[in-house]
Amino acid sequence: MKEDRKTIGFVVIIAVICIGAIAAVMYTHPFGAPEEKINWNLTLIGTAEKVVTFDELKAMPSYEGYGGFFSTVGMINGPFKCKGVPVEDLCALVGGINGSYTLWVSAQDGYMMVFTYDQVKGNFVTYEPVTLKEVPHSPLKVILAYEQDGAPLSENDGRPLRLAIMSEDKLLTEGHYWIKWVDKIAIRAIKNQNKT
Amino acid sequence: MKTIHIAVLVLLIVAVVVSTVIYQQQEQEETKLKVIYAGSLIVPFEELEKQFESRHPGVDVQIEGHGSIQVIRQVTDIHKAVDVLAVADYSLIPDMMYATPSGEDYADWYVKFATNQMVLAYNNQSKYADEITESNWYEILARPDVTFGFSNPMLDSCGYRTLMVTQLAESYYDNQTIFDDLIACNFEPTISGTKEGDTYIVFVPEIFEPHAGKVVVRGGSVQLLALLEYGGLDYAFQYKSVAQQHGLRFVELPDQIDLSSTEYEDDYKKVIVRLGFQRFSAVDTERVGSPIFYAVTIPKNAPQPELAVAFVEFVIGEEGQKILGNLEQPSLVPAEGSGVVPFALEPF
Repeated sequence: MKEDRKTIGFVVIIAVICIGAIAAVMYTHPFGAPEEKINWNLTLIGTAEKVVTFDELKAMPSYEGYGGFFSTVGMINGPFKCKGVPVEDLCALVGGINGSYTLWVSAQDGYMMVFTYDQVKGNFVTYEPVTLKEVPHSPLKVILAYEQDGAPLSENDGRPLRLAIMSEDKLLTEGHYWIKWVDKIAIRAIKNQNKT
Repeated sequence: MKTIHIAVLVLLIVAVVVSTVIYQQQEQEETKLKVIYAGSLIVPFEELEKQFESRHPGVDVQIEGHGSIQVIRQVTDIHKAVDVLAVADYSLIPDMMYATPSGEDYADWYVKFATNQMVLAYNNQSKYADEITESNWYEILARPDVTFGFSNPMLDSCGYRTLMVTQLAESYYDNQTIFDDLIACNFEPTISGTKEGDTYIVFVPEIFEPHAGKVVVRGGSVQLLALLEYGGLDYAFQYKSVAQQHGLRFVELPDQIDLSSTEYEDDYKKVIVRLGFQRFSAVDTERVGSPIFYAVTIPKNAPQPELAVAFVEFVIGEEGQKILGNLEQPSLVPAEGSGVVPFALEPF
């Protein structure tokens, strides 16, 4: 009987601690809030011009794969599982892209990168995530990602849209291609290269 | 027996909860100092962080490396709270942080505290490693069986400085084919060099692909170092500090072309690299040759301005300079201030 009381006492203590812990977690990490509506427009410029809302983009056929990147100083991020829309599919909405064109991807913060047609088709150097040794890869897909590891992108990861280079392998690519906060994609004819 | 198990479990839970609370309290009590630095400073700044923290209990120095332009953009475009920033090209601070076109004024001073120079890095496995010298490096690189690399001039200061070095080499060695042999003929579309009066203009097209096998271009030093290590490359243009910090052999280039000396400032200025697209809306596409000086500043909206001054004082003071020197990062003694330098830093 005495033994039982002791046991009950300990169980009560554990229960109180658990309830306290759960309450603390719920207080600091509230959940169950409705998903925030994302007001974001992506401008596509090709032979035509089109503005795609975030919801319209999310309704397009998606691709899911793995990939990560490393920074200038070799800091490794990922690999992550990302979901998004293939950039080639977005190009197709405004006339498509071929070898006579380059892809100019720009972001709300004033950052911009130019991609060759080969890169749009997935021609990048890939790196092994621990040693950063260059390694071969299965076909790569360039996507405009809106999900990372099953959750919407965080602000720091480029919410709501970030360029990502994906494949079935868990490999890395150079970080400067992973443009955050993408708001414009333009397909431009290659200029005469030798002008000064 | 059952009671003992439960008691142990309870004790464990209590220990975890108590240690978590203590840890969180400690974290809250620590003052955080955010320091962002140019990638080539990674080795000395990791040590500076450690040493500064050991002298300032309760301070957590949080360091983060980027390309120099990205360092400044963390403050000006991305609006992160940063206490100290250090860049590999001092001119970026006045260009990007002083009275910007948007009317914002992020800084009004900087202190030059370190220098560097361009070298050609290699290792014992590199072809002709025992033959290469300051006077024949460009001939060795041009040999068909030799591979070499440099970082992307669109992305990295070491990349556009490589183009400046190869162009300056033509005048120094009185050989008008060096740039063509090493750079222009190895790219499609080509990276071209033309002369306009006294000035050489190097034009980097918006896209450029090196011919397979001979030249390798990667985003930054990290990738080139890995290629050298794994035998994927014979030579790479690097900063001397980076080559030394990674235990590589290197060819020291003449002062007249290695962008190290104020004595040849006027010659360096004669090479301008024009980049094919504007990667950052806040920075133009022209890079003019100049001696390499690293500079440090404190943004006007730094969350910990007093501690930031103490950190800069530490970096440019005797102890900091010693740390830089021990880690092969040449320092500038005395440091050179420009603009409205905080009073506490004036003695340096």
